[in-house]
Amino acid sequence: MEVYEAIRNRRSVRRFLADPIDRETLDRIVDAAIWAPSGGNAQTWRFVIVTEPERIGKLRTVSPGLLGGPPAVVAICQDLGAARAKGGALGETFLAPIDAAMAAQNLLLAAYAEGLGTCAIGSFHKAAVARLLNLPDRVEPVLLVSVGRPAESPDPPKRRTEGVVLYEVFDG
Amino acid sequence: MDKDVLERKVFDLVGYMATSGRNLLDETPLYGPFRLVDAASRLIEILEQEGIASSRLSTLRERIDAGKYTVMVDADRFAKYLDEVVEAVVDHMDGGASEGGEPPRTRT
Repeated sequence: MEVYEAIRNRRSVRRFLADPIDRETLDRIVDAAIWAPSGGNAQTWRFVIVTEPERIGKLRTVSPGLLGGPPAVVAICQDLGAARAKGGALGETFLAPIDAAMAAQNLLLAAYAEGLGTCAIGSFHKAAVARLLNLPDRVEPVLLVSVGRPAESPDPPKRRTEGVVLYEVFDG
Repeated sequence: MDKDVLERKVFDLVGYMATSGRNLLDETPLYGPFRLVDAASRLIEILEQEGIASSRLSTLRERIDAGKYTVMVDADRFAKYLDEVVEAVVDHMDGGASEGGEPPRTRT
Protein backbone atom coordinates (compact mmCIF):
# COMPACT_ATOMS: atom_id res chain seq x y z
CA MET A 1 0.00 0.00 0.00
CA GLU A 2 1.21 3.44 -0.91
CA VAL A 3 2.08 5.39 2.23
CA TYR A 4 0.17 8.56 1.31
CA GLU A 5 -2.95 6.48 0.70
CA ALA A 6 -2.74 5.05 4.21
CA ILE A 7 -2.09 8.47 5.75
CA ARG A 8 -5.04 10.10 4.02
CA ASN A 9 -7.58 7.29 4.35
CA ARG A 10 -6.94 6.10 7.90
CA ARG A 11 -9.76 7.10 10.22
CA SER A 12 -10.41 6.86 13.93
CA VAL A 13 -12.84 3.96 14.13
CA ARG A 14 -15.26 3.66 17.04
CA ARG A 15 -17.42 0.76 15.88
CA PHE A 16 -15.95 -2.69 15.37
CA LEU A 17 -17.03 -6.13 14.26
CA ALA A 18 -16.58 -8.86 16.85
CA ASP A 19 -14.23 -10.89 14.62
CA PRO A 20 -11.07 -11.76 16.54
CA ILE A 21 -7.76 -10.57 15.13
CA ASP A 22 -5.16 -13.31 14.73
CA ARG A 23 -1.95 -13.11 16.67
CA GLU A 24 0.28 -12.93 13.58
CA THR A 25 -1.48 -9.80 12.39
CA LEU A 26 -1.23 -8.19 15.82
CA ASP A 27 2.46 -9.07 15.94
CA ARG A 28 3.00 -7.46 12.51
CA ILE A 29 1.37 -4.15 13.40
CA VAL A 30 3.22 -3.96 16.71
CA ASP A 31 6.46 -4.75 14.89
CA ALA A 32 5.74 -1.73 12.69
CA ALA A 33 5.40 0.33 15.87
CA ILE A 34 8.77 -0.89 17.08
CA TRP A 35 10.32 0.45 13.85
CA ALA A 36 9.34 4.01 14.74
CA PRO A 37 12.10 6.46 15.60
CA SER A 38 12.85 7.19 19.23
CA GLY A 39 14.82 9.96 20.90
CA GLY A 40 18.40 8.85 21.39
CA ASN A 41 17.31 5.46 20.00
CA ALA A 42 15.99 4.80 23.50
CA GLN A 43 13.28 2.29 22.46
CA THR A 44 11.91 2.32 25.99
CA TRP A 45 8.36 1.63 24.82
CA ARG A 46 6.53 -1.49 25.89
CA PHE A 47 3.42 -2.90 24.19
CA VAL A 48 0.79 -4.91 26.04
CA ILE A 49 -1.59 -6.61 23.61
CA VAL A 50 -4.95 -7.43 25.16
CA THR A 51 -7.36 -9.84 23.45
CA GLU A 52 -9.23 -11.50 26.31
CA PRO A 53 -12.79 -10.16 26.15
CA GLU A 54 -13.14 -10.00 29.93
CA ARG A 55 -9.94 -7.98 30.30
CA ILE A 56 -10.99 -5.66 27.47
CA GLY A 57 -14.31 -5.19 29.27
CA LYS A 58 -12.48 -4.17 32.43
CA LEU A 59 -10.28 -1.78 30.48
CA ARG A 60 -13.39 -0.29 28.92
CA THR A 61 -14.87 0.40 32.35
CA VAL A 62 -11.94 2.65 33.31
CA SER A 63 -11.27 4.02 29.80
CA PRO A 64 -14.05 6.37 28.69
CA GLY A 65 -12.34 6.85 25.33
CA LEU A 66 -12.32 3.14 24.55
CA LEU A 67 -15.44 2.92 22.43
CA GLY A 68 -17.06 0.44 20.13
CA GLY A 69 -16.15 -2.96 21.59
CA PRO A 70 -12.86 -3.74 19.81
CA PRO A 71 -11.61 -7.35 19.85
CA ALA A 72 -8.06 -6.19 20.62
CA VAL A 73 -6.43 -3.33 22.46
CA VAL A 74 -2.75 -2.43 22.36
CA ALA A 75 -1.54 -0.51 25.38
CA ILE A 76 1.47 1.55 24.36
CA CYS A 77 3.48 2.06 27.51
CA GLN A 78 6.75 3.63 28.44
CA ASP A 79 9.33 2.24 30.84
CA LEU A 80 9.99 5.57 32.52
CA GLY A 81 12.80 4.11 34.59
CA ALA A 82 14.60 3.07 31.43
CA ALA A 83 13.74 6.38 29.74
CA ARG A 84 15.28 8.32 32.61
CA ALA A 85 18.36 6.10 32.62
CA LYS A 86 18.78 6.65 28.86
CA GLY A 87 17.78 10.26 28.48
CA GLY A 88 17.62 11.88 31.89
CA ALA A 89 14.71 14.12 32.80
CA LEU A 90 14.20 15.08 29.14
CA GLY A 91 13.96 11.40 28.22
CA GLU A 92 11.41 10.68 30.91
CA THR A 93 9.13 13.68 30.58
CA PHE A 94 9.47 14.76 26.95
CA LEU A 95 10.90 12.06 24.72
CA ALA A 96 9.04 9.11 26.22
CA PRO A 97 5.51 10.31 25.34
CA ILE A 98 6.66 11.57 21.94
CA ASP A 99 8.26 8.22 21.15
CA ALA A 100 5.04 6.46 22.16
CA ALA A 101 3.09 8.73 19.83
CA MET A 102 5.42 8.03 16.90
CA ALA A 103 5.12 4.30 17.57
CA ALA A 104 1.35 4.68 17.70
CA GLN A 105 1.22 6.34 14.29
CA ASN A 106 3.22 3.49 12.75
CA LEU A 107 0.82 1.03 14.37
CA LEU A 108 -2.26 2.89 13.10
CA LEU A 109 -0.96 2.99 9.53
CA ALA A 110 0.17 -0.63 9.57
CA ALA A 111 -3.22 -1.68 10.88
CA TYR A 112 -4.90 0.28 8.10
CA ALA A 113 -2.74 -1.55 5.57
CA GLU A 114 -4.01 -4.81 7.13
CA GLY A 115 -7.61 -3.72 6.61
CA LEU A 116 -8.11 -3.00 10.30
CA GLY A 117 -9.66 -0.04 12.04
CA THR A 118 -8.03 1.64 15.00
CA CYS A 119 -8.47 4.49 17.42
CA ALA A 120 -5.72 6.03 19.53
CA ILE A 121 -7.08 6.78 22.98
CA GLY A 122 -5.78 9.08 25.67
CA SER A 123 -8.94 9.13 27.76
CA PHE A 124 -8.33 6.46 30.38
CA HIS A 125 -7.38 6.34 34.03
CA LYS A 126 -3.67 5.63 34.07
CA ALA A 127 -3.43 4.09 37.51
CA ALA A 128 -6.47 1.87 36.93
CA VAL A 129 -5.17 0.67 33.56
CA ALA A 130 -1.76 0.04 35.08
CA ARG A 131 -3.38 -2.17 37.74
CA LEU A 132 -5.46 -4.10 35.23
CA LEU A 133 -2.39 -4.76 33.07
CA ASN A 134 -0.16 -5.57 36.04
CA LEU A 135 2.35 -2.92 35.00
CA PRO A 136 5.36 -2.46 37.27
CA ASP A 137 5.68 0.94 38.95
CA ARG A 138 8.26 2.21 36.46
CA VAL A 139 6.02 1.45 33.45
CA GLU A 140 3.24 3.88 32.55
CA PRO A 141 0.51 3.51 29.93
CA VAL A 142 0.69 6.39 27.45
CA LEU A 143 -1.91 5.46 24.84
CA LEU A 144 -4.44 2.73 24.26
CA VAL A 145 -5.12 1.71 20.67
CA SER A 146 -8.31 -0.17 19.86
CA VAL A 147 -7.94 -2.62 16.96
CA GLY A 148 -10.55 -4.52 15.00
CA ARG A 149 -12.39 -4.97 11.76
CA PRO A 150 -14.17 -1.66 11.17
CA ALA A 151 -17.97 -1.57 11.28
CA GLU A 152 -18.06 2.01 10.03
CA SER A 153 -16.31 4.27 7.55
CA PRO A 154 -16.23 7.70 9.17
CA ASP A 155 -16.09 10.77 6.98
CA PRO A 156 -12.78 12.60 7.15
CA PRO A 157 -12.85 15.58 9.50
CA LYS A 158 -12.00 18.92 7.93
CA ARG A 159 -8.31 19.68 7.82
CA ARG A 160 -7.34 23.24 8.68
CA THR A 161 -4.56 24.38 6.36
CA GLU A 162 -4.67 28.17 6.39
CA GLY A 163 -1.90 29.56 8.54
CA VAL A 164 -0.77 26.10 9.54
CA VAL A 165 2.26 25.71 7.29
CA LEU A 166 4.83 28.46 6.95
CA TYR A 167 8.14 28.65 5.14
CA GLU A 168 11.32 30.07 6.61
CA VAL A 169 9.81 32.17 9.43
CA PHE A 170 6.53 32.43 11.29
CA ASP A 171 4.98 35.39 9.50
CA GLY A 172 1.51 36.40 10.65
CA MET B 1 -33.57 -11.35 33.61
CA ASP B 2 -30.36 -12.62 35.18
CA LYS B 3 -29.72 -10.34 38.16
CA ASP B 4 -26.00 -11.13 38.23
CA VAL B 5 -25.63 -10.19 34.56
CA LEU B 6 -27.58 -7.01 35.10
CA GLU B 7 -25.50 -6.13 38.16
CA ARG B 8 -22.27 -6.60 36.18
CA LYS B 9 -23.48 -4.40 33.34
CA VAL B 10 -24.57 -1.67 35.74
CA PHE B 11 -21.25 -1.99 37.57
CA ASP B 12 -19.41 -1.41 34.28
CA LEU B 13 -21.58 1.60 33.53
CA VAL B 14 -21.00 3.06 36.99
CA GLY B 15 -17.28 2.53 36.50
CA TYR B 16 -17.42 4.29 33.15
CA MET B 17 -19.29 7.24 34.65
CA ALA B 18 -17.01 7.51 37.68
CA THR B 19 -13.86 7.33 35.55
CA SER B 20 -15.34 9.89 33.18
CA GLY B 21 -15.99 12.17 36.14
CA ARG B 22 -12.35 11.98 37.18
CA ASN B 23 -10.91 12.31 33.70
CA LEU B 24 -13.11 15.25 32.81
CA LEU B 25 -11.17 17.34 35.30
CA ASP B 26 -8.34 17.27 32.77
CA GLU B 27 -10.08 16.78 29.44
CA THR B 28 -11.65 19.05 26.90
CA PRO B 29 -14.91 20.46 28.38
CA LEU B 30 -16.85 19.27 25.31
CA TYR B 31 -16.29 15.69 26.42
CA GLY B 32 -18.53 16.33 29.43
CA PRO B 33 -21.80 16.45 27.50
CA PHE B 34 -20.53 13.68 25.24
CA ARG B 35 -19.91 11.34 28.19
CA LEU B 36 -23.35 12.16 29.62
CA VAL B 37 -25.28 11.28 26.47
CA ASP B 38 -23.05 8.27 25.85
CA ALA B 39 -23.81 7.05 29.38
CA ALA B 40 -27.51 7.54 28.68
CA SER B 41 -27.17 5.45 25.53
CA ARG B 42 -25.31 2.72 27.43
CA LEU B 43 -28.02 2.68 30.10
CA ILE B 44 -30.75 2.24 27.48
CA GLU B 45 -28.70 -0.51 25.82
CA ILE B 46 -28.51 -2.38 29.14
CA LEU B 47 -32.25 -2.05 29.64
CA GLU B 48 -32.88 -3.34 26.11
CA GLN B 49 -30.60 -6.33 26.66
CA GLU B 50 -32.43 -7.14 29.88
CA GLY B 51 -35.86 -6.91 28.32
CA ILE B 52 -36.82 -3.54 29.75
CA ALA B 53 -37.33 -1.72 26.50
CA SER B 54 -39.67 0.80 25.01
CA SER B 55 -39.79 2.27 21.58
CA ARG B 56 -39.24 5.80 22.91
CA LEU B 57 -36.11 4.76 24.78
CA SER B 58 -34.85 2.93 21.71
CA THR B 59 -35.61 5.97 19.59
CA LEU B 60 -33.64 8.17 21.96
CA ARG B 61 -30.71 5.76 21.94
CA GLU B 62 -30.69 5.76 18.15
CA ARG B 63 -30.80 9.57 18.11
CA ILE B 64 -27.97 9.75 20.61
CA ASP B 65 -25.78 7.23 18.81
CA ALA B 66 -26.41 8.75 15.39
CA GLY B 67 -24.78 12.05 16.24
CA LYS B 68 -22.65 11.70 19.36
CA TYR B 69 -19.34 11.56 17.51
CA THR B 70 -19.90 14.98 15.97
CA VAL B 71 -18.18 16.11 19.17
CA MET B 72 -14.93 15.01 17.53
CA VAL B 73 -15.33 17.07 14.39
CA ASP B 74 -17.55 20.13 14.86
CA ALA B 75 -18.55 21.77 18.16
CA ASP B 76 -21.42 23.71 16.57
CA ARG B 77 -22.89 20.58 15.00
CA PHE B 78 -22.55 18.79 18.33
CA ALA B 79 -24.45 21.56 20.13
CA LYS B 80 -27.20 21.45 17.50
CA TYR B 81 -27.35 17.66 17.81
CA LEU B 82 -27.75 17.92 21.60
CA ASP B 83 -30.62 20.36 21.10
CA GLU B 84 -32.25 17.85 18.77
CA VAL B 85 -31.84 15.06 21.33
CA VAL B 86 -33.59 17.20 23.94
CA GLU B 87 -36.33 18.01 21.42
CA ALA B 88 -36.77 14.28 20.90
CA VAL B 89 -37.09 13.81 24.66
CA VAL B 90 -39.91 16.36 24.71
CA ASP B 91 -41.55 14.72 21.68
CA HIS B 92 -41.75 11.41 23.54
CA MET B 93 -42.59 12.62 27.04
CA ASP B 94 -46.16 11.39 26.94
CA GLY B 95 -45.62 8.29 24.85
CA GLY B 96 -44.45 5.73 27.41
CA ALA B 97 -47.54 3.62 28.04
CA SER B 98 -48.74 3.53 24.46
CA GLU B 99 -45.28 2.39 23.34
CA GLY B 100 -45.03 -0.48 25.75
CA GLY B 101 -42.78 1.24 28.26
CA GLU B 102 -43.40 2.68 31.67
CA PRO B 103 -46.64 4.60 32.24
CA PRO B 104 -46.35 8.32 31.50
CA ARG B 105 -45.69 10.55 34.48
CA THR B 106 -48.61 12.35 36.00
CA ARG B 107 -48.51 16.10 35.54
CA THR B 108 -49.68 18.27 38.37
